[in-house]
Amino acid sequence: MATHEKVDVAIVGAGASGSVYAAVLAAQGKKVVLFEQGPDWQLSDLISSDIWGRRIKPAAGPFILEGKHPVSYGNQGGWGVGGAALHYFANFPRLLPNDFRVKSEYGRAHDWPIAYADVSPYYDKVARDVGVSGDAKAEEIWRPAGDPYPMPPMKTFRNGDVWIKGFESVGIRMVPAAVGMNSVEYKGRPACIYDGWCHVGCPIGALANPLVTYLREARKAGAEVRPLSTVTRVLTDASGGRVTGVEYYDRSGEGQVQEASVVVLAAWAAQNPRILLNSATGKHARGLANASGLVGNYMMTHFASGTFAIFDEDLENHMGTTGAQYMSYERYGKTSHKDAFGSTFIVAGFALKTNDLGGIANARLDLFGPNLDAFMRRAARGLTRITAFGEELPNIENRVELIGDKDAFGMPLARMTHTYDKDVEVVWNANIEEGVKAAKGAGAKEVWSARGAIPTIHLMGGTIMGTGAGNSVVNSYGQTHELPNLYVAGPGIFATAGASNPTYTIFALSLRGAEHLAANWKTLAG
Amino acid sequence: MDQLGRRRFMQGAALGALAFTVGGAQILLTPREARAQGVALRTLRQPEAETLAALGETLVPGAREAGIVHFVDQQVSVPPEEALLEARILNVRPPFVNFYRAALAAVDGASQAQNAGKRFADLDAGAQHAFVDRMRQNKIDGWQGPPGSFVYLVTRSDAVDVVYGTVDGYAKLGIPYMAHIAPTARW
Repeated sequence: MATHEKVDVAIVGAGASGSVYAAVLAAQGKKVVLFEQGPDWQLSDLISSDIWGRRIKPAAGPFILEGKHPVSYGNQGGWGVGGAALHYFANFPRLLPNDFRVKSEYGRAHDWPIAYADVSPYYDKVARDVGVSGDAKAEEIWRPAGDPYPMPPMKTFRNGDVWIKGFESVGIRMVPAAVGMNSVEYKGRPACIYDGWCHVGCPIGALANPLVTYLREARKAGAEVRPLSTVTRVLTDASGGRVTGVEYYDRSGEGQVQEASVVVLAAWAAQNPRILLNSATGKHARGLANASGLVGNYMMTHFASGTFAIFDEDLENHMGTTGAQYMSYERYGKTSHKDAFGSTFIVAGFALKTNDLGGIANARLDLFGPNLDAFMRRAARGLTRITAFGEELPNIENRVELIGDKDAFGMPLARMTHTYDKDVEVVWNANIEEGVKAAKGAGAKEVWSARGAIPTIHLMGGTIMGTGAGNSVVNSYGQTHELPNLYVAGPGIFATAGASNPTYTIFALSLRGAEHLAANWKTLAG
Repeated sequence: MDQLGRRRFMQGAALGALAFTVGGAQILLTPREARAQGVALRTLRQPEAETLAALGETLVPGAREAGIVHFVDQQVSVPPEEALLEARILNVRPPFVNFYRAALAAVDGASQAQNAGKRFADLDAGAQHAFVDRMRQNKIDGWQGPPGSFVYLVTRSDAVDVVYGTVDGYAKLGIPYMAHIAPTARW
């Protein structure tokens, strides 16, 4: 294998977390290379079409999906520069203080090794960096005060406004949603035009995807992106005490070695453990950073309770954003629902398109033929939806592990097993029942819930943070307990999942980790 | 994307068209146009195409004429990372044609077993509707292939794509398409 000249930092993955590390470290003058499996997407590649939008998602990952509630990997994942944050909805709720102390306060799962106060300044920094629209003051009925958001709330539409009365009827206060989108021009990026194509990628840069935020800054500061380059292993020195770089395969399938002083794994929650497990050596027989045997364990997702309603009016449901117009932490308390544990985060008001998984046609999956056509015509202007995201507690049985079959690069595929526990079923049902009540309270003509298999949304865990190698893989900065110059970034390091959309927290934790690495470079990089 | 890949991609997307082979040359057509022009299928066999057309039409009226067969055939003929099928995000393992072959064989096998040897495409519309209703609920005895409910989900998505997911489909429903970057041809 050809060996490339040593760089300061090799970052595996050019999505939300990798781009933050790249921006911070490149700005410090470090030589940074980001490796990305997929193409180097540009804004001009982001066609407004649910059909074409599938190009920025993985064409089946290297994972065999098992368990009673298999992870929705393909729909959630990203493929190419920008990662999943190229098609995320940019809802920016934050975790709340109770998320960090689940063990201490409730005797369940884990505590994070940090508190809300440690992350809060980074939420505020990220808001300024990428641009967040919302009403921080309004949110402070549920969370400690912080800085105001740099932009006022987004415009709302009837498809969101129509829910307010219904939520009031069940005692739920809604506030303007915090979103990583521009309600007004911000840092040279234009304001949103509300045509609802966020989920296939925003080509005008109104939505804070990595291409127009941290990755753009990283490139300006000299970071190099190597697209179509698949990292298969992290390499270590003879003593096994430090990492020395990565092995990867380039666009022509040639194996290469990139030496680096520091390696940051930012390839999403499932791929990071796959790489760590595949990097086993004589000194690290169970994989890197895995003396505890916890690499790949505690995979978590959120579950969504969806409620649909048709109103007898034109809701302009094609207008708005794919993210939310309104949000609520009213049911975020861990014991909000009787006989079950876990937070709920509620959002309302989304632009709807006709097709794909979240499209109008899938609001009634049971319908086909003339009945589906009649529904489509009825729903075309009057359909709207709300979603309640729920918290799954970490379960050691939900895990990623290597199997015998291999991919095109000779790297073992992995099995990802995921099954929800009883608490999830109870909270999911309770949220559905409350959603139906809210819809009826809002005066909807037709109301139904999205029953069937409990969905899996947002992938987290697998390399969780903690106080030491006995209970976790990394510390609160994402630095592995065993190898001082190996970091893990992204949702994989969450100790618990909360119920808030994860990307704002991913940005915040990555910024915290990257700044810590930069501040301690001489000690950590060696 | 590299420049060549981007040029091809943008050309196709801007036209809302896919690359079909006609007379040995690649030309850009919508699936509806490809069907109307009788473009030869690249991967699906004729009986599979007939079953898919009938299934698509049962799932979403208009899917046959909108070119569901040419859409799926073209998509299973390109490298999986270029495919636009919903199968891609439903975790179907490539090559995607394997799934479609197994699914369509399961449909015809069950149809023949239950209808005195008649393939699905040969059933009358009422019988096709009743069959699909049982298939979506995994209630067909002796079914052999991917779960019926999953076959329903994937093929229904394909039919929805070609009928409702196009610029024309939006227009028929009275929904403004409002593209940032438009597929300017009408699919």
